[in-house]
Amino acid sequence: MANFNIDSKKARTYDAIVIGSGISGGWSAKELTERGLKTLVLERGRDVQHIKDYPTTNMMPWEFEHRERLPKEIADANPIAARCYNFKESSMHFFAKDNEHPYIQEKPFDWLRGYQVGGKSLLWARQTQRWSKYDFEGPARDQFAVEWPIGYDDIAPWYSHVEKFAGITGNKDGIDALPDGEFLPPHELNCVEKYFKEQVSKQYKDRHIIIGRAAHITEPQQIHLDQGRAKCQHRTICERGCPFGGYFSSNSSTIPWAAKTGNMTLRPHSVVHSIIYDDKKQKASGVRVIDANTKQMIEFYADIIFLNAAALNSNLVLLNSTSSRFPNGLGNDSGLLGKYIAFHNYRATVSGQYEGFLDSTTDGKRPNGGYIPRFRNVYKQETDFLRGYAAGFSAYRMTSNDRDGLGESLKAGLHETKYGNWGVGSHMMGETIPKESNYVALDQNEKDPFGMPKLRISVDYDDNDEKMIKDYMEQVSEMFTKAGFTNVRTNDNHRNPGNDIHEMGGVRMGKDPKTSLLNKWNQLHHCKNVFVTDGASMTSTATQNPSLTYMALSARAVDYAVKQRKAKNL
Amino acid sequence: MERRGALKSMAVAMGAMAGLPAWASGWNKSAVAKSGLLAADQSKNLAMIVETIIPKTDTPGAGELGVGDFVQKMVKDCYDAKAQASLASGISNIDEQSVQRFGKSFTDASKEQRLQILSDIEKGSDTAQKGFFSMVKNLTIQGYMTSEYVMTNITHYEMIPARYHGCVPVKKG
Ligand SMILES: Cc1cc2nc3c(=O)[nH]c(=O)nc-3n(C[C@H](O)[C@H](O)[C@H](O)COP(=O)(O)OP(=O)(O)OC[C@H]3O[C@@H](n4cnc5c(N)ncnc54)[C@H](O)[C@@H]3O)c2cc1C
Ligand code: SF4
Repeated sequence: MANFNIDSKKARTYDAIVIGSGISGGWSAKELTERGLKTLVLERGRDVQHIKDYPTTNMMPWEFEHRERLPKEIADANPIAARCYNFKESSMHFFAKDNEHPYIQEKPFDWLRGYQVGGKSLLWARQTQRWSKYDFEGPARDQFAVEWPIGYDDIAPWYSHVEKFAGITGNKDGIDALPDGEFLPPHELNCVEKYFKEQVSKQYKDRHIIIGRAAHITEPQQIHLDQGRAKCQHRTICERGCPFGGYFSSNSSTIPWAAKTGNMTLRPHSVVHSIIYDDKKQKASGVRVIDANTKQMIEFYADIIFLNAAALNSNLVLLNSTSSRFPNGLGNDSGLLGKYIAFHNYRATVSGQYEGFLDSTTDGKRPNGGYIPRFRNVYKQETDFLRGYAAGFSAYRMTSNDRDGLGESLKAGLHETKYGNWGVGSHMMGETIPKESNYVALDQNEKDPFGMPKLRISVDYDDNDEKMIKDYMEQVSEMFTKAGFTNVRTNDNHRNPGNDIHEMGGVRMGKDPKTSLLNKWNQLHHCKNVFVTDGASMTSTATQNPSLTYMALSARAVDYAVKQRKAKNL
Repeated sequence: MERRGALKSMAVAMGAMAGLPAWASGWNKSAVAKSGLLAADQSKNLAMIVETIIPKTDTPGAGELGVGDFVQKMVKDCYDAKAQASLASGISNIDEQSVQRFGKSFTDASKEQRLQILSDIEKGSDTAQKGFFSMVKNLTIQGYMTSEYVMTNITHYEMIPARYHGCVPVKKG
């Protein structure tokens, strides 16, 4: 009898349920609980509490047995995760292990995941740029995907809303293709970066070099202090979790904020299996969860459901949510669920050297870099490929130690640091075109260790990407050469799609239910109390890092959902 | 000085990180067996090799800083079976050369004799032995440069610099 209450349906009923506690889920949870809704946050991984659960955060370099190099056994057991640049001895515990969370690569696609409270917000590189109107207008203008149901003006106030809370550093650059935001003081460009900025603006009308916009608190405001966060101390080891809360993560920011309202129940170890559709009410009534520890199925109920499991997992949950009304997955009357997956293309880099400023160097560390906003096809189609690319740009003073010889001469050489030229480097950030043939689907036979169907991923590059890579290499090489950089070299690393961790689509937004799954409020056209506000909802990808847009979409959708609930429309 | 103080108080505030919790360390600890790769006398030889590569001067050498154990651990955990075998045979080979050339084991040989053997290998034509030695030398440099002693006393590693200046004069000397 003692268990009666715990097991009762009432005890498992909430006002809202959020699936996933990463970047988008954290925002959904914060906004829902702040508006007074009793909210259940379901997270498939373990709990990770700010500071307490950052086991490597204060370890010195020499305290890592392998000095950040991967033991062979771990690299061999995790061939996909280990291909991520950030999968290191100090941070690998925040990555999902390949063998524990298998999926099927119909084509090689690196699916990198963080399964814990906070999701990938503990691992991300924290670059946060707004989209511009050109990005939202792209598909309608260029006819490569369906039209976005929203434009820049719809989301701009929500960008401001999330930027102020998260804390974004940046400079007001006044660039059309990259709107300014609510910025904390910018990081500094170094001398060679500034020099390059001047050279580029002298030689090109529409090309800019700016300091990156990033989720770091360079000067805490009251709202950050209220979150218990402090000024970023420039450690640049953010992927271990930051004891200062210097960068934005769900763990340091939105999740504890939601907890403080008293309205949040966080349930880790809860793998959401599917969303329950109630035929009579013609809406979703709750979710089925597999307890990761006991493997038992439990049901939870709510009026509003926010799906924030990260793009491909949100597709998986919807595809797995079948009912007599929706035999092919929840809301999937169009048959498009899982299709039009797109991603970012970071395959190419350009490097070089500069033989100036030889009496200068940098001091300290900067958790950020320079950025080149998209300059291709912004106002009109001007190349033989669709869309464009942004790029990173950073300069650093090269140093070396003489490693020749043995004994005392070697030791002396090692102790003397010699300055070389400045090194300069850039990497592309390209937009890929959503295509029906890039899709995810459920495997009919194979199940993962939790009893969920395995996800089949069939996503690849195309000609457009190859042309874009070529153009990026040519354009940036030209810019480098004009600036007087020497030794300019291009490289295509040919890595798998997905390795850039910005997969999007499959549950795209749109105006027409025949060609999209979600309406302009991120609401399933055919199941109005279910909202998808992570990367799955993206109609196209733009060139910007995506997470800021997921945050803004989440906050905007919650505001709408709560108003609709009050008006008894949900 | 200030920096050390700040570091210390932060460590106290957050509780010393003596060991990783099970969920974080499960990945490596279980995978890494306790026993070393080399027999005890081989380990001693390796310690002498790394000390010869970076010897004690007015500051400690690589041997004293335990870099031999680091080299062994890296080869055991991060390299394939072939590289592991080459470590063992490479060390034996050095010891044999020492006995042949100087009538003494490598650990008993003089500093000059030890240097002679290693630099002959480095400059020599035996590619297998050269490959072995370049692996050991690289790991020795890495282990030495990232040792607590060097990073604290010589290269002055800053965990929390709290600044970035984009253009400062290069310090002379
Ligand atoms: C190394 C790295 C660098 C990056 N750099 C940047 C960057 O600079 N800028 C940027 O914008 N983005 C960056 N990203 C991407 C960014 O991390 C993601 O875009 C962002 O985290 C996505 O937010 P999300 O809420 O959709 O997913 P996540 O943050 O991944 O959260 C999803 C959560 O849902 C949980 N979940 C999944 N399935 C289920 C289920 N069935 N039931 C319950 N819970 C579930 C997961 O465990 C996870 O906690 C980077 C990512 C990585 C790994
Ligand atoms: S760079 Fe800033 S945010 Fe990153 S770990 Fe350091 S202090 Fe924290």
